[in-house]
This record gives sequence, structure tokens and C-alpha cells, in this order.
Amino acid sequence: MKKRYLYLLLAPGLLFLTLFMIVPLILTVGSTLFKDGSFTFGIYLQFFKDSYFLDILGTTLLVSVATTLLCILIGFPVAYYLSMMPPRKKGILLALAIFPLLTSSVVRSFSWMIILGKNGLVNNVLIKLGIIHDPLSILYTPTAMIIGLVHLFLPLILITLVGVLESIDHDLVRAAQSLGASKLTAFRKIVIPLSIPGLIVGSILVFVGSLTAYTTPALLGGKKRVVATFLYQNAITLNDWQAASAIATIMMIITFIVIGLMNKAAAKFNPKG
Amino acid sequence: MKTKNPGLALFSFIVYLFLLGPLLIIAVTSFEPGTVLKFPPTGFSLKWYQNIFDVEMFMSTFKTSIIVSLLGNVIAILLGVPAAYALNRVTFRGKDTLNAVFLSPLLIPGIVLGFTLLKYVVITFHFPIYTSLLIGHTIIMLPFIIRVIGSSLANFDFAVEEAALSLGSSRLATFFKVVLPNIKSGIIASVLLAFLESFNNVDISLFMTGPGVSTLPIQMLTYVENYFDPTIAAISVLLMLITAVFMFVIERLLGLTYFTKQ
Amino acid sequence: MALLQLENVSVAYDQQYILKDFNLSIEKGHLISLLGPSGCGKTTTLRLIAGFLEATDGAFKFSGKDYTRVPINKRNFGFVFQSYALFPHLSVFDNVAFGLRQRKVKEDEIKKRVMNMLEIVNLGGFEKRFPQALSGGQKQRVAIARALVIEPDLLLFDEPLSNLDANLRVNMRVEIRRIQQELGITTVYVSHDQEECFSISDRVAVMNKGIIEQLDQPSVIFQYPKSEFVARFIGFNNFIHFDERDSEGSFFTLRKGNYHFHAAKADGMPVTMKGAIRPDDLIAGTLQEINPGDNVLTGKVKVSTYLGRSYQYVVDTPLGEFTVNQEMQQPYANGQEIRLLFPSDKLVLVE
Repeated sequence: MKKRYLYLLLAPGLLFLTLFMIVPLILTVGSTLFKDGSFTFGIYLQFFKDSYFLDILGTTLLVSVATTLLCILIGFPVAYYLSMMPPRKKGILLALAIFPLLTSSVVRSFSWMIILGKNGLVNNVLIKLGIIHDPLSILYTPTAMIIGLVHLFLPLILITLVGVLESIDHDLVRAAQSLGASKLTAFRKIVIPLSIPGLIVGSILVFVGSLTAYTTPALLGGKKRVVATFLYQNAITLNDWQAASAIATIMMIITFIVIGLMNKAAAKFNPKG
Repeated sequence: MKTKNPGLALFSFIVYLFLLGPLLIIAVTSFEPGTVLKFPPTGFSLKWYQNIFDVEMFMSTFKTSIIVSLLGNVIAILLGVPAAYALNRVTFRGKDTLNAVFLSPLLIPGIVLGFTLLKYVVITFHFPIYTSLLIGHTIIMLPFIIRVIGSSLANFDFAVEEAALSLGSSRLATFFKVVLPNIKSGIIASVLLAFLESFNNVDISLFMTGPGVSTLPIQMLTYVENYFDPTIAAISVLLMLITAVFMFVIERLLGLTYFTKQ
Repeated sequence: MALLQLENVSVAYDQQYILKDFNLSIEKGHLISLLGPSGCGKTTTLRLIAGFLEATDGAFKFSGKDYTRVPINKRNFGFVFQSYALFPHLSVFDNVAFGLRQRKVKEDEIKKRVMNMLEIVNLGGFEKRFPQALSGGQKQRVAIARALVIEPDLLLFDEPLSNLDANLRVNMRVEIRRIQQELGITTVYVSHDQEECFSISDRVAVMNKGIIEQLDQPSVIFQYPKSEFVARFIGFNNFIHFDERDSEGSFFTLRKGNYHFHAAKADGMPVTMKGAIRPDDLIAGTLQEINPGDNVLTGKVKVSTYLGRSYQYVVDTPLGEFTVNQEMQQPYANGQEIRLLFPSDKLVLVE
């Protein structure tokens, strides 16, 4: 095919993205670097001296790391279990895992409000069982955020890992066993190393997703803010465009650093060299 | 290989309970007759379903959501299908970069996209909010179109296209007569996935609200912050039904393995 | 005057030449094969003729007209693909009818011609089936019918049989040759299988690295390969680099060290210092069976392999190792001294 047709086909989409995504992003980043016409990192220096912002950033990172680790720890065994299933059963179980993924995040976070609230399911059960007398305050804490985010992103890591685990030839495990490895050793030395690239891809999705999530922290986090809700507050409630732009820039930079580092790690730990 | 590991089976069962239990609880509480959400519900009533249709804001934002998702989808298809075709049909220098650009809305935080759209497209360049909402949704739908149709095209034997050309068909006619019919299921699936992504979107719509303009998820979010009655639960059930129908269609078209092969 | 001519054609991808100053002409009604290893440029040549890619330089003439810039869909060439490339969403009938519909042929005429063509390729009664429901051989027949029904000015085959199993391959190539001769249609056929090319072609072009090493009748190439590349490609894997050459009547006399050889002269055989012979053409014998003399080397059996009908030996001689195939009951032992006879009519000179 001739090159000019090629560019003609790509041009409309590229133009659209350039005008409405790339240019606004560049302008946003650029606007944070100039004050009264001169170049400055001042706003970032201010941010990183501000203990309120550092607290928010800390909470966000803590919640994201906890969510990612929990998703991996919970997701890996289940994904392994799923990958061993006969196709029909696996299909149904996968469908059940994908269903929440395609359901609105508002709906899913809302469900945890019903469960974790003062008069929610968890407190009711615990009080009925006599374990506690006064309801626990779980809702509107970082813990609630983590629970909500794990619920949000677990399906993502499940389907990523099932895909990777399915692609591992079962004969490899049998071969390891025939060479004298126990089932556990075969799992540890064959299955885990071969699934590391998938684990890293899944971790990127979960970590970046948690880092930038708005709905779940907004509904389950109460007064505890994360970077995304802080950005919204600055832009809409406080109308502080420069601060909001700086937060947006910080979010993008962290996202790209995380993706970059994880991809590096993926390349380094790639068992196939 | 089969593992008979009861511990693993039990663990998986608990995880599934964790994933699906909350959705089930919402469904059950939507039938609560009282004004406060309770689990278990104190009775059975459909009055909160009735309430959805009585609250004007739900109906109008639902309409906006549908229009924006559908129209955005059409634009995303018009922009995305030619691009996906070009990206899969030939190899050329810079192809990987362009591919990354088209998929980048997946990586850039939605909240950042929403904010920059508000700041520059709406405020600086004076685009109407409704138009900007549509633009934002088109941006986030594009990667789905590119990716799903791209994988359909990657499985398409382009020799078939060459065969049509050698038999005298023009390039454009070949695309509609030969290529399109064979990636039909990919297109439908990508449309459905993109629709769900757009319809459920919060991050962008959050910034694109104005007089008479808001989407259903944003309306739900506002409602939840102020009321705790079962209306939201009832809406949730309806949305889950839509999701279930969409999933069924996607499964028929691509098979569920599509989801694990990204 | 040739029907088809490629004149000094060059094709390059990313500054890398695949064909450079390439020339080829084909007579009307001939079936010509392009034969060579992968990457030799044979498929590029075919796709260039079809119009799937454009030459960076040079001209393509067809029937005396300049076809260089004629788009694919205006060339009226039939193309048969390696992957068959049947339209998966159309029935056999609609696949074959596709080209006729582009040409706005009337429906009743289409019906007649499609059905007639399906008869020719022995697929009568299959018109309602879809491609998925066909075997590989049947798919290939549909692909051939689809290419032929438009009465193309030129028929192009791109490794059409490589996805079929061995038996079917032999049947299909007989079919292809029969149809081609029946319709008298000029054909270019690309394959990496020499037996396939030799059995169906009027002319074979052996290609290597973007040039034609030899273009001749199959039997000529088989007996008298022009270059070492062609010789190796068609199974001559014994070579001798001679020190001296003389001409004596209908023979060349050749010398390497103290060993003397004769090679029969033949039309078109290059006059060089490099001799080549097939393992099948070498004759092995014990010291008693073959006497020392011209065209004879003595050596030791180094490796012996049982091939079923014959034995293959690698023999270490003063002029290097030679491979010989010999039908025999009792094989020679490893290390045994034997003699090799180079029949003078089988020893050829190559470039």
C-alpha cells in the first residue's frame, strides 16, 4: 500500500488525539513551570514542603502498594486454580470474574458502603455474634479504600494471570517432576518464574489504577483524601488551576515512572532472557 | 493437569464470594421497602425501581449518558477503524510509536484527562460542555476500538484482500466487501466494550458537568453522597443487567478467552 | 516477441535491495517456474508482476504495453495464493463469481461460467459450501477456479501446493499442468520444491539473491547446471577445483595434482575449472572391481548411512571428501579402501 494512503487513514485519529489530548496535556504541564512569565519549579517545591500534600501523597502510595500486593497475593493462587480447570468450568468462572470488571465503579464502591457502614453487614454480624459491642468505623478509612480497590482491580489481575498461566506448557511441570522435582518445587522453579512478566503487567495495571482512582476513594475514603480527589477539590471546589495542574503533572510523572520501572523490571526478570 | 487441592478450592471460593457477594447484596437490598438501605431487607418492594423513573435527574442524565456513549462510539469507530487498519495492514517506521499514541488514553490517568479537557478545551477554547463531554468520551473509547479491532485484523489473512484486488475490485470496495464482513464480530465487540467503558466513566464526566449536562454515574455519585435510600441499588441492578447482556453478546462473538489474551 | 517482460527492475525495502536490475521475459502460453530458496526474490518477482508491489526502478511490459503503473485491479491477472485466500464469508459459488461480478457480467452468464469452471476443477456440486467446510485440496481448486474464471491474461501461482500433504501435492500439480495446457494460459509459478517445478514447467528460472542464476528447460538444468549454486540446489554436492584444463575433441581433459579427469563437452556448458557430480552418478567399487586410472580416485569409507534403497558413503580421498550413493546388498565397512569412478558424461563444469 502506498504511504500516502497510510497517512490519510491515520491522520483523522491522530489529529483528534493531538488537538484534544496531547496539546491540553502539554499546556497543562507547561503552565505549572511559569509564574509571572519566568520559568520556575516553585510550585513543586511548595508542594513537596507542604505536609498536608505529603500526607495525601503518602496515603495514596500506601493504599496503592497495599492494593497491588493484596491483589497479587489473592489473585495468583486463584488464577492458578482457574488455569487448571477444564475449559467449560474455567469459562464460567472467568465470566464471573469479568462481570464485576465491566460493572460501574460507582455501583461497586457503593456496595461496600452498604457492607462496611456503621449499620452495615459487617458490623451487624460482628455485634450479633457478640464479638464487638460498638460498631467499628471501617468505612471512610484507608482500609475501606484498600478493600474497595482490591475489589475493583482483582478481576484485572486474575484475567491477566490466567492468560499467562494458561500459556505455560504443562509438560514443563511434568518434565521437572520427571527430573526429580516435587510438585511444590516444580511450581516454585517453573510456574512462578514463567509468570513473572504477567505478574508485572498485572501489577502495573493495578498500581496505576489505584494511584489514579477517583470513585472508590471519594465514596469510601471519607475525609481522607488521595491525589485524585485532591486534584478534583483544587480544580472544582477551590478553583486553584495552577495547583490542580501541578497535581495532574505529578500524577502523570509518577504513572510514567512506575510504568517505566515495571517495564524495566519485566525485561530484567524475563525468564526467557 | 488436575490439582485436587481442597485448600486452594476453598480459598478460590472465598475470593469469588468477595468479588460477587457485594453485587448480590446490592441486588437484594434494592427490594427494601423502607427508606434506608438494610441488609437483609425488611421486606419486598419494587417502589425504588419506580423511584428511578420518577426522579427527573436520573432520566435526563441516563439520556445524556446514552447519547454521549453512542455518538462518541460512532466517532471513535470512524476515527479508529481506519487507524487500526493502517496499523495492522503494513509495517512502517514509527508504527510502534503511533500504536502507543493511540493506546495512550488507557495509560494517562482519567482524572488528568478530564481536568485538562476542562481547563483547555472548555475554558480556554470555549467548547460547549456537551461537546467536550463527547470529545472526552471519544478519546477514552478510541483505544478499545484500536485494540479489539486491531486484534481482529491481526488474525485476518490479508492475502484475502489481495485476492479481491487481483479479481478487479477497487481498494475501497474491497474493504467493505471483504475486510469488513470478516472483522464484523471484532467491531461489534469493540463497540460494546467501548460503550461500557464510556457509560461507566466517572473520571472524565466529573469535570464535564454544567447546566443541564451530567451523566448517570455522576448523578449517582452525587445522589449517594446525599441520600442512602435503595434507589441507587435499584439502578445498579438495572446497570448490571445491561452489563450481563453485553457480556453474553461479547462471549458469543469473541469467546471469553478474548479477555485473558490482552 | 515475449508476452511479458521485466526490464531492469529493482525493488527495495528500507534501502535494502531485494531485486536489482532484474530481467525476465516469458513467451506466450508457457509455464515458467521461479525456483529458489526462501529470500531469493522469487515471491517478490511474482508480487511485482501481480501489482501487489511497485518497482523502485525499471519497467514491466505486458503484451507490448507498459504495465508498470497499472493498478492491480486493472491488470486482469489471476493469482493463486499459498494460503488459498478464499473469502471466508462467501460460498464456493460466490468466491468464484467474485471476479465476474466486478466485471459486471450478467447473473445467468455468471452462473454458467462458474458452474463450468467448477466442473473443470472437479468440484461440481460443491458450490453451496463455505470455505471452512473444504479440505486443503478442495480449497486450492476453488482458488484456481476463482483465478481462472475471469479468463486472465496471465496466471500467477505463489507456492500453491506447500500447504498440502505429499500425495495431494503430486495430484494437484498434474491437475495444474493439465488445466494450464488445456486453456493455453501463460503462467508464472513460484515454488521452492525443485521436483514440483521440474515436473510442470516449460522453463525453470533458478533464482538466488535477487538474480536468475539459470533459466532453461528443466532437463537442461537437471543435467547441466550452470553455476555452483544451481548445482548444489539440485543435488550436485561433490565439487573439484581443477588446476589445469585442456580441450580434446568432444572432451575436456582436466588435472588436479597427479589426478587426471575427462569431462564430456555439452552445449552451453560453461568453460571453467570447477567440476561437479551428483552422489547418484558416482560409481563406487572395491579395489578389485575398479582399476586405477583416469577419472578414478582411491579413498577410505568414513561414514556409511543406510538410505533404504541404497547406501550413502562419505569417502575420504586425496582430493577431499566425496559423497556417493550406491545400491548394494552388503555395505562397505568403515575404514575400508574403495575406488570412486567419475563417469566422464556425468562430470560437468560449473561457474
